[in-house]
Amino acid sequence: MKLVKVGVSLIITVGLVYCLNRGWNFGSPVPPLGKFLNPFGGFWQNAETKKIPDETLNLTGLKAEVIIRYDSLLIPHIYAQNDDDLYLAQGYITARNRLWQMEFQTHAAAGRISEIIGDAALDYDRTQRRRGMVYAAENALKAMEADPVAARMVSSYTQGINQYIQSLRYKDLPLEYKLLGYEPELWTNLKCGLLLKNMALTLNSGDKDLEMTNALKLFDKALIDLVWPDNENVGDPIVDNTGNWNFTPITIDSLTLALPNELVDVKPLEKSPPDVGSNNWAVSGKKTHSGSPILSNDPHLSLSLPSIWYVIHLQAPGVNVMGASLPGAPAVISGFNDSIAWGVTNAQRDLIDWYKIEFKDKSKREYKSDDVWKATRQVVETFKVKGKPDFYDTITFTHHGPVLYDERFKGDNEMKHFALRWIAHDPSEEILTFFKMNRAKNHAEYMDALNHYASPAQNFVFASVSGDIAMRIQGRFPVRRKEEGKYILDGTLMRNEWQAFIPNEQNVMYKNPARGFVSSANQYPVDNTYPYYINATSYEAYRNRRINKLLSEMSDITPRDMMELQFDNYNLKAEESLPTFLNYLDTTQFTQAQKSAYTILKAWDYENDVNSEGASYYEAWWDALFPLVWDEIKNAKVALDYPTAYTTIKLIKEKPDLSFFDITDTPTRETAREVIQQAFITGVDAIEKWKVDQKKEPRWADFKDTFVGHLLQGLPAFSFHVQHGGNHDIVNASSRRHGPSWRMVVSLEKTGVRAWGVYPGGQSGNPGSPYYNNMLNTWANGNHYPFQFSPDANLKSALATLTLKPVAP
Amino acid sequence: MKFFIQVIATVIVCLVLQLFLPWWSMALGAFGVAYFTGNKSFISFLAGFISIALLWSVFAFYLDFKTDSILTAKVNQLLPVNAFLLTALVGALVGGFAALTGALFKRK
Repeated sequence: MKLVKVGVSLIITVGLVYCLNRGWNFGSPVPPLGKFLNPFGGFWQNAETKKIPDETLNLTGLKAEVIIRYDSLLIPHIYAQNDDDLYLAQGYITARNRLWQMEFQTHAAAGRISEIIGDAALDYDRTQRRRGMVYAAENALKAMEADPVAARMVSSYTQGINQYIQSLRYKDLPLEYKLLGYEPELWTNLKCGLLLKNMALTLNSGDKDLEMTNALKLFDKALIDLVWPDNENVGDPIVDNTGNWNFTPITIDSLTLALPNELVDVKPLEKSPPDVGSNNWAVSGKKTHSGSPILSNDPHLSLSLPSIWYVIHLQAPGVNVMGASLPGAPAVISGFNDSIAWGVTNAQRDLIDWYKIEFKDKSKREYKSDDVWKATRQVVETFKVKGKPDFYDTITFTHHGPVLYDERFKGDNEMKHFALRWIAHDPSEEILTFFKMNRAKNHAEYMDALNHYASPAQNFVFASVSGDIAMRIQGRFPVRRKEEGKYILDGTLMRNEWQAFIPNEQNVMYKNPARGFVSSANQYPVDNTYPYYINATSYEAYRNRRINKLLSEMSDITPRDMMELQFDNYNLKAEESLPTFLNYLDTTQFTQAQKSAYTILKAWDYENDVNSEGASYYEAWWDALFPLVWDEIKNAKVALDYPTAYTTIKLIKEKPDLSFFDITDTPTRETAREVIQQAFITGVDAIEKWKVDQKKEPRWADFKDTFVGHLLQGLPAFSFHVQHGGNHDIVNASSRRHGPSWRMVVSLEKTGVRAWGVYPGGQSGNPGSPYYNNMLNTWANGNHYPFQFSPDANLKSALATLTLKPVAP
Repeated sequence: MKFFIQVIATVIVCLVLQLFLPWWSMALGAFGVAYFTGNKSFISFLAGFISIALLWSVFAFYLDFKTDSILTAKVNQLLPVNAFLLTALVGALVGGFAALTGALFKRK
C-alpha cells in the first residue's frame, strides 16, 4: 500500500514537472510555465534597469581590443582597430540588444514562422517560399561571398552574432524565446541576405499587374488611362534635368507589346500599404544659416517594436560613421560620416512582372519558351509546423522565376500558372555599397559606392562637408517598352522578357541643381525628356509638393527648421479637396451633428495636429468617400486596384459625371455630388459613434490612434498607443500603423559634422528594458536627440563601457 | 520544530541548486530534504509547498522591486492571474509534491 502511495506521489511530481516544462496550446498558446515563471531563470530575469554595468569580455576571432561605449540612449560607439573587428563587434552588440527580432525577421523572410507560432502562419510561409525569398537570398549570398571585402564583412558580423548566441544560458534568452518556448539557432551569412531581401519585399510588393489585367478586360483603354495614368503630372519630378540627358540610350525592338485580354481569377498577395514611403532632401550651403549643407531623411515604414532601426557609431582606421543600421546586416544604411551624409527613400518603379506559363502537361516538368520546351526545376519545400506534422509544398521554378500561383496555391483554375520575375532574385552586392558609402569622402566616392547597388531601388540623397548636394535614383532597372510590365506577360515568348538593363551612368541623377536643394518623396522620378519608359504602381502626389514649396521659400535655414519640416502636419490634400467637397454639400437637411461637423470643417486650418477636430472629420469623410467612389472596384468579382487619392480628387473636380461615381447598389444614377453627400453622412455617423464608444471629443490624435505594435501580431502587453499628428499624404506621414521609422537631420559643417535623430522605439529589443521605448514620446512630440559623434572614445555621457578582448592564443 | 527545519533546509538547498541548475532541480532538493528530515507526509507536503512558494515569490519580489516593476506589469497582461501568485503557486505545487514523495519514500 505504501509503495502505491509513493508511486502515485512520484508520478504526480514527475507529471507536474513534465507539464510545466513544456508549452501547451489551449486555443491560445501557454508558455512552459515552470521555466517561464521560475524567478532564477524565467521572465523575471529579463527585467532591467537604466544602469548598465561595465564589462570586459573575451571574444574569439578578434585581432585586437575593441572598446564599446554606450551613450545615454544606449547607442553603442564602437572603437575598433581594423575592419574585421569592427563588424564582429557590430554583430555582437546588435545581437545583444536585438537577437530575437533579428532571428524572427529572417524566419519571416524565409517562410519559417509556422515553426514558432503554428499553422496559423502556414499560408504566409508558403507565400514567402513561393516568392523565392530563400532563392533570392542565396543568390545575394553567392555575390557577397564572391567579393573578398563583402565576404569578410558578412563573415565577421555573423561571427560576432554567434559568439553572443553561444554565450547564452536559458536565463539570458530574450523574453520572446521564453514566452514562445523555443531557442535561437546559429546565425548564418544567408540570414544577412534574407534580411536585406525582406526589406526589398517590403518596398517592392505593391505591384498590380494582375489587377490591371482585369481592369483592361473590364473597362476600355481610354478609361484606364484616365483612372490609372502612368504619370499624374503633378509637382516637380525628383530630378528635373530637362534636355540634358546627354547619352545614347539602349534600345530594344520596337515591336508593339501585345496586351492581354483575360480575367485573372487568382487571389492577389497582400500588398505593402500605399503609406509606406519616405522623405529625404538636402539643401545647399547657399540656403543655410551656417553656409554648410543640411541633409534630412525620414523613411516611412510600419511602426513596430522592437524598432526596425538600430543606431550605431562605427569607428576604425579609415572609417568613422554613424546612423541607422538594420539589425541583421553589417554597416550603416542611412547616416553620416565626417565628410558626407546620405539617406534613402524608396524609388517607385515597377520591378516585378508576372509571366503566364504554359506547361507541357500536368507534371510541370517542361514549359514552352518560343519553339522549345524548357525543363523546370521542382523543389519540395518542407515546413516544420509547431504542434503539427511537417507540411510539404512543391515549388516549380522556370527561368523567369518561381511559379507562385498554381492550382495548389491561390489559384482555383488549373489552367493558370504565373511565374514571378523580380529584380531582387538577381545576384547583387548591396553590402559593398554600404561598406564604401560608410567610408566615402566626397561625391565621386558616393557615386562609386552606388555603382554596386541593385535592389531595392532607392533615391539616394547626398550632401558633403565640401559643399555638394546630389540625388541619384539607383537600382537595376530593366529597359522597358511602353506599357511593358503594367499587365501580365505571355511567358511563352522570349521577346517579352527583360532584355537589357539601364546602365548605371544612365540612371536618373543630378548634382548641385540651381534651385539650391534636392528632394524626394516617392513622386514621379524624372522630367519627360528622360529617354526611358518608366512606370510604377503609384507615385506620391502631396508630400513632395509641400516639401518643395517650403524648401523653395526658405532661406537662412537652420537644422531646427529641417526638424520642424519633418514634423509638418499640413494637409495639402485637404486644402485641394475640402473646399470642393463642402461646396457640393446640400446643407438644408442637416442634423445637429452634421451642422456642427460642417462648422468645424469650414473653420479648419488644414493642419492634422494632435488636437485638431477638423482633421478627424475630414479624414472620416475621406475614409467613407473613397470606397464609395470606387465601389465598382471593391465589389468586383475579380481583383482590381484602387486609383490614387490624387486622381480620385481630380475626377471629382473635373468629371463629376463619370460612370464610376454611380453607386452600383442603388437604382438611381449618382454623380460626385451625391457620393460626397452620402460619404459626409457616413463620416459624421462614424465620428458620432466613436464619441459615444470612447466618451471623448474626436481629437485627431485620439481618433487616428497611432499604434506602435510588437512584431508578434501587436501583442498589446508589449505595444504602445501614442499621441501623434500627421497622416499619410502629409510630410509627417504617420498613419495609424505606419510612419517615419527614423528621422535624421545632418548639418555638414566644416568645423565638424553635427547630427540629430530619433525613432519610434528604443535601442533595446527587450520589453523589460527602459530602453525599449524610451525614444517613443520624443518622436511623437517631434523632437530629435543630438547625437554624440566623437572621434575618440571619451564620450561626455557614457553609460557603460564594454571592453572586448581577443582570446589569448 | 522539524517542520521549520525542513522549510529552512529546503529553501537553502533549493536556492543553491537553482543558482546553477534548471528550475526543476528544486524538486530534487525538496525531495532530498524531505527524505532526510522525515516529517509525516502531510507536514512534509506543506513544508515543501511553503518553502518553494517563499523562495520563488521572495526572489521574484526582489527582482521586481529592483527594476521598478517594469516587466511585471506587462507580463500581468499576458497571464490570467497575477504573476506573483502564479509564480508562487506553480513553484509551490512542484515543491509540495516533491516533498511529499520524499516523505513517503522514507516511510515505505
